[in-house]
Amino acid sequence: MADVPRPRQPIKPGFFTVPDDPRATPNLLVTRCEDCGEVFYPRRAVCAKCMSRHTEEIEVGARGTLYSYTFVHLPLFGSTNMEHAEGYGVGQIDLPEGPRLQAPLAGKQAEFKVGQSVTGELDVLRADGGTDIVIIRFRPVAEAA
Amino acid sequence: MRDVAVLGVGMHPFGAFYSGKSNTEMSLVAGLAALDDAGLTFADVDAAYAGHIFATVMSGTRVMKEFGLTGIPVQRIENASATGSAAFREAYLAVSAGHYDVAMVLGFDKMTTMIQSGTAGTAPENMEDAILPAGFFAMWATRRMHERGTKVEHLARIAAKNFNNGALNPMAQRQAKERVTAERVLASGMVAWPLTKMMSCPIGDGAACAIIGPVELARKFNPGRPLVKIVASTLQSERYERGHIFQGPVVGPARMSVDSSQAVYEQAGVGPQDLDLVQVHDAFVIEELEYYELLGLCKPGEAEKYIEEGAFEIGGAKCAVSTDGGLIARGHPGGPTGLAQIWETTLQLRGEADKRQVRRKNGDLPHLGLCHMMGGGSVCVIHLLQRG
Repeated sequence: MADVPRPRQPIKPGFFTVPDDPRATPNLLVTRCEDCGEVFYPRRAVCAKCMSRHTEEIEVGARGTLYSYTFVHLPLFGSTNMEHAEGYGVGQIDLPEGPRLQAPLAGKQAEFKVGQSVTGELDVLRADGGTDIVIIRFRPVAEAA
Repeated sequence: MRDVAVLGVGMHPFGAFYSGKSNTEMSLVAGLAALDDAGLTFADVDAAYAGHIFATVMSGTRVMKEFGLTGIPVQRIENASATGSAAFREAYLAVSAGHYDVAMVLGFDKMTTMIQSGTAGTAPENMEDAILPAGFFAMWATRRMHERGTKVEHLARIAAKNFNNGALNPMAQRQAKERVTAERVLASGMVAWPLTKMMSCPIGDGAACAIIGPVELARKFNPGRPLVKIVASTLQSERYERGHIFQGPVVGPARMSVDSSQAVYEQAGVGPQDLDLVQVHDAFVIEELEYYELLGLCKPGEAEKYIEEGAFEIGGAKCAVSTDGGLIARGHPGGPTGLAQIWETTLQLRGEADKRQVRRKNGDLPHLGLCHMMGGGSVCVIHLLQRG
């Protein structure tokens, strides 16, 4: 029984994938404009750059570089996870495909640095019966020496 | 297009009153004060605009009924923090176009009730709503520190200035008993690094009102008083550029403040060097620092130097900024905030700002004031008020 992972559900559908394998990295659900090539997160029907309606829904890896960050000294709203009780990091992450997004960060403030590589992971916010409700957050990647 | 003037202003002091004061009570105080200041009664008002963020159905018309039932058009306007400013602009557009002569703009809100009920007016299932507004603005500060070498002491000095200005304003929510230092601001407890409690606006309640009309009416009703004209108005939303953040629209693109300020300078045929006083959306101090540059008060990269010199204090080398304490000390209930800026600028231009009165280097009263508000990072509203 211990080997069977608990089912996981995103707090809100339409933003990221929830892989069956808990060790797998989630993907972000983005839109790519078929006319001008601009990529958007989260998904949208009309291209914000050229107003084209010819857009396609694609997935990209949840990884990028940290544009800026903070550490909020209050519990994360709506979370019963003890790890969030003393506060949480928040970052602005630039994806290599272009979009900049904001999301909670895993780790302590001392680990955050502007320009740092980060990678996405799913984080349990609370349990809903037998299901874990998850959000996406980003964790600093240790730089190769 | 007719020339439009501020006929009267009034406020209920901002504060955290919780159940102690209702929106209606506070609105009556602010609205009647503005009518008295204008020398008018509600029978003279041709149209009313209510600015209220945390609204129930018909909240605008319901509050206006307390002043009288005269059949006038009443509308409620909402644009997050810029609600009062957006309502003021709608009234200005209607009066300048000649649709109405006297328009009353009333802003009111109770942030304390909103916080207690746990509804931020947004959907809690949205991930971005789990992140405090302080967090978004803190990231603006982190980036600035990375790019420009800004120190936390620079941020603290802005907060100290605004607390000390607020102590001279009877309408301000935070009334410091003694002079506030940068050290005290830094020691006030961390909200979202590097922003401390005293670098962030408080939660509060309040009401503010402005009554506007064609300049001829201002001259007729108050012939002995300096005329305060609305010489420019703009409201802009975001333009897309690479790096735009679509979730958690709290900060907004910096370019919006640049474009909006250039638009009002062009409308009025003035430049930032002509400003005597400026009010900005300083919900968090990093904003005020950035707006010094985005509004053209100094060149990019110079803000820190001028902060060290105290250039934006009342009597400083540059124009005075957040003369009434700003959102940091005067407070930021929501709907009335932009109208508190109009109240302050009007009193300053008339020479009625008492201990915090701004004067030019030659001792003259100020001539030109700018009022800037951001709404949810998604709109920027700017008005220019000019004496004469």
